[in-house]
Amino acid sequence: MPQPLLRVRASLDLTWHYAAGSHFTRFFEALRDDGLILALRCPACRRVYLPPRPVCGNCFRRMEEWVPVGPQGTLRAFTVVHFPFLDPTTGQPRPVPFGMGLIQLDGADTTLNHYLDETDLGRLELGLRVEAVLREPRQGDMGDIRLFRVLRP
Amino acid sequence: MSEPLVFPGSITIPFSYAAGAAASRFLVALRDERRILGTRCSSCKKVLVPARSFCAGCWEDTGDWIEVGPEGALVSWTTVHLPLPHLPPPPVTLGLLRLDGADTDLLHAIGGDSRRLERGLRLRPVWREARSGSLLDIAHFAPIT
Amino acid sequence: MKWRRRVAVIGTGQTEHTRKRDDVSQQELVREAARRALADAEMTPGDIDAVVLANMELFEGRALPELWCAEGAAGAGKPVLKIATGGTSGTSGAIAGALQVASGMFDTVLVVGFEKQSEGQTAAGMALTDPMWDRHVASAAIGNFALSISQYMAERGVTQEQAAKVAVKARRNAARNPYAHLQQPGLTVEQVLASSVLAWPIHMLEMCPTSDGACALVYAAEEVARRRCPRPAWVRAAATRHDHPYIGDLDRRLVTMRTLRDAAREAYAQAGVTEPLEQFDVAEIYEPVSYAELAWYEALGFCKEGEAGRLIEDGVTAMDGQLPVNPSGGVLSTNPIGASGVIRTAEAALQLHGKGGQRQVPGARLALVTGYGVYAWSDVLILSSDPG
Repeated sequence: MPQPLLRVRASLDLTWHYAAGSHFTRFFEALRDDGLILALRCPACRRVYLPPRPVCGNCFRRMEEWVPVGPQGTLRAFTVVHFPFLDPTTGQPRPVPFGMGLIQLDGADTTLNHYLDETDLGRLELGLRVEAVLREPRQGDMGDIRLFRVLRP
Repeated sequence: MSEPLVFPGSITIPFSYAAGAAASRFLVALRDERRILGTRCSSCKKVLVPARSFCAGCWEDTGDWIEVGPEGALVSWTTVHLPLPHLPPPPVTLGLLRLDGADTDLLHAIGGDSRRLERGLRLRPVWREARSGSLLDIAHFAPIT
Repeated sequence: MKWRRRVAVIGTGQTEHTRKRDDVSQQELVREAARRALADAEMTPGDIDAVVLANMELFEGRALPELWCAEGAAGAGKPVLKIATGGTSGTSGAIAGALQVASGMFDTVLVVGFEKQSEGQTAAGMALTDPMWDRHVASAAIGNFALSISQYMAERGVTQEQAAKVAVKARRNAARNPYAHLQQPGLTVEQVLASSVLAWPIHMLEMCPTSDGACALVYAAEEVARRRCPRPAWVRAAATRHDHPYIGDLDRRLVTMRTLRDAAREAYAQAGVTEPLEQFDVAEIYEPVSYAELAWYEALGFCKEGEAGRLIEDGVTAMDGQLPVNPSGGVLSTNPIGASGVIRTAEAALQLHGKGGQRQVPGARLALVTGYGVYAWSDVLILSSDPG
């Protein structure tokens, strides 16, 4: 008689409380209260980082100079995703297809990974101009930037 | 500076662990036959409980399957007063017991009045009616009255 | 980095990698590979001084694999170290094991990499990225690679057909590797490009699988290696580079791939390699997706920038080409994440041992190994039949 092979099923329910830190607190408050996207400039290399973080990874210098960037920018990379990834914020698969891009906001030197409003590959190319679309009402987290809208002439 | 922000986050991830052939046989024996099985190391001859496919000390495959217990002797115990995840509400007494015929100790819940526990106390398993192939098919071990 | 004393791989072992192993627990899977490696090295557990385990524990939801799987790697009573560095776990583990022996503190080290992805939710584990700015858009390896590939295609001119040829090479090579997961001897470019799009331009058939599997290797110090092994695979170089954590900070990741370039430059200098395409006899490189292998050709200096497509089209990296890349079938054919980097190292070593069977590159004496992880971490090892 064949041996049964058992599977032990267990569900891991994880909850956390993440401290945003002073830099992200400032960033999310500016986004929530003023609708502004703020970045940080390194005093040494002058690189403007979005999202902001306390230290420049190349120079190891603390960054304190806040610079508003965007809300428009340039598309530096893109894809259209058909694979229904698990959205960790909801625990459900994301509806597909959805567009994604790396966006360099005007004034920033790094790119931001975010959603695009376009899923037609024939209408996506590097260099397109895009604009941040904010969530209303804003709540003070990254979801306040809902997605980036491709600017069509 | 304004109040620092703290974000709550949560995620539920389902897992499905393969028990493997040896552990499956052990669990099925609990579920279907109410028998506790051990395996004997082909090298050092120790009877390992729960049953497993190899002896960690010798790194050899185990050979014979041996039924142990169902009774055994209490080796050590503690009573937990903190509410801990996956345990019943406190107080819960957990103990290590040496089932008759085994050479290793089994960790399980101990029922009955914890003030009357002593080393060497004889215990027997209390089986659940509805069993699923889990160590908890034994609800706890209780002193033999 | 200067090596204090010589180290060699003297034995390897791995499981037959597959989608789902219901018949073994995680620890038993580890033991399968460990036994085979010890048997290959003709050693017993008592001969091993220390153990390194490579595994991404979150993916299976089992904390502390160095605790729960140590017995399976004959680690009870020994020093055991766990390494969890994403895709580079296996090569980080391979480098750590080599360094442990080279330090003089241990004469023999067993390295076991493993993953039992059928037990968990790898995508969910990978979604646990930075909660402030990354998690809400986390699209796992597939989405992130797809973004980088759009930049790489635009700047270096590779085509979807050229990328598909990489997948065809991998799966056909895998058909001659008894341990590989996806073995597709008849795969064609047309089939790859007709398969469903996961995230443009990545098709299903040119992306790595998720696998259950384990792979182990035995390292020995020179005196032990010479005594026990007729053809030791000497470690001539090891280098690692990490980078910014956020994909948006990396300068066009696949295009520049500075971690792999810098790690390769350092490793080549350690081993005296100046012309990689000419000098290496075989390469096992970590390629999660077809386009990555093309980008790695350029970063590793096999060709000039923009010429990677030509390399695959001219068959330079085929089994009968100038430098066979991934005779094992690579990560594209087999990907138990914690094991994958150990598999690259073990496959390179067994080529030098002459144990490649149907996938043997005749006369292989110098092998290149790479590991890749997360957004842009890179490991490079060089193995040689020549102790140097």
